[in-house]
Amino acid sequence: MGGQACVLYGAAEFSRDTDLAILASPENLSRLRAALADLQAEVIAVPPFELKHLRKGHAIHFRCHTPEADGMRVDVMTRMRGVDVFARLWPRRTTLGAEDGTSYELMSLPDLVKAKKTQRDKDWPMIRRLVEADYFRQRDKPTQQQVGFWFLELRTPELLIELAETHAQICRRLIKQRSLLKLVAAGKENDLTAALAEEERLEREADREYWMPLKAELEELRRARLRKP
Amino acid sequence: MITAEQLVGEELAEWYLLTPQERWQESGKLWAIFFSLGGSLDPEPDTQSPFFDPDAPSSRSLDGRSGLRSIRRGGV
Repeated sequence: MGGQACVLYGAAEFSRDTDLAILASPENLSRLRAALADLQAEVIAVPPFELKHLRKGHAIHFRCHTPEADGMRVDVMTRMRGVDVFARLWPRRTTLGAEDGTSYELMSLPDLVKAKKTQRDKDWPMIRRLVEADYFRQRDKPTQQQVGFWFLELRTPELLIELAETHAQICRRLIKQRSLLKLVAAGKENDLTAALAEEERLEREADREYWMPLKAELEELRRARLRKP
Repeated sequence: MITAEQLVGEELAEWYLLTPQERWQESGKLWAIFFSLGGSLDPEPDTQSPFFDPDAPSSRSLDGRSGLRSIRRGGV
């Protein structure tokens, strides 16, 4: 669900870790523990690898020591702000097959875009590129669902305006879900750029607020770790 | 109709139009170069991430060397 998924969906990112969204159940955690043991993975930061922390929305951070993946970072999460629960994400996933027979299960593009709406600078150009890449690949014969996704998630003013030229009705229908679409319909590019920046600012602020209590918990866990003899 | 080249330039437009499998292969080539130069798997410190922990231990580079180093500095 992280940088590796972004590469597969078309954004250009060189990511050095692997982020996994998992179902937080005792059975699944047992399977994950076995897989991590194969990778000789150790937890490298707080919180410890426990179900209660995953269920609260924390990520667990591992580093692998098996020779084929020595030093590789793996982050595991189960809950993300603004993203559906795992049981709903899984049926929507994308499965990609590699030539060697390996298959990769990726969070769906709309879900990945939601997961990327964080407080970090680097996630926002990534969202823009992910949706642009999808638009350029599919715009010749899009489904209604794809057009809806682009209207709700494109962050490129020129493309939003272009899309509205051929799908004005869908654009009007979605104004209730994304208010800046009224500027799209009017073709106001400068106003649209400002509205997109404001939309980003509000999301980043919401993410900071969401993380405030979780960060306090992480701080407390770090202090407890330091107090340990 | 706006083209990808007009919007993001030739290089990124080309990347957009690759299949996921092709991107995976290209990404693999970058990894090979990165490792051959002594690149480390430690992610860049992400100070904006809520998970950022300044005390988290870092790993050594894959080959035990210190990775890229400056050989000559240009003037400013």
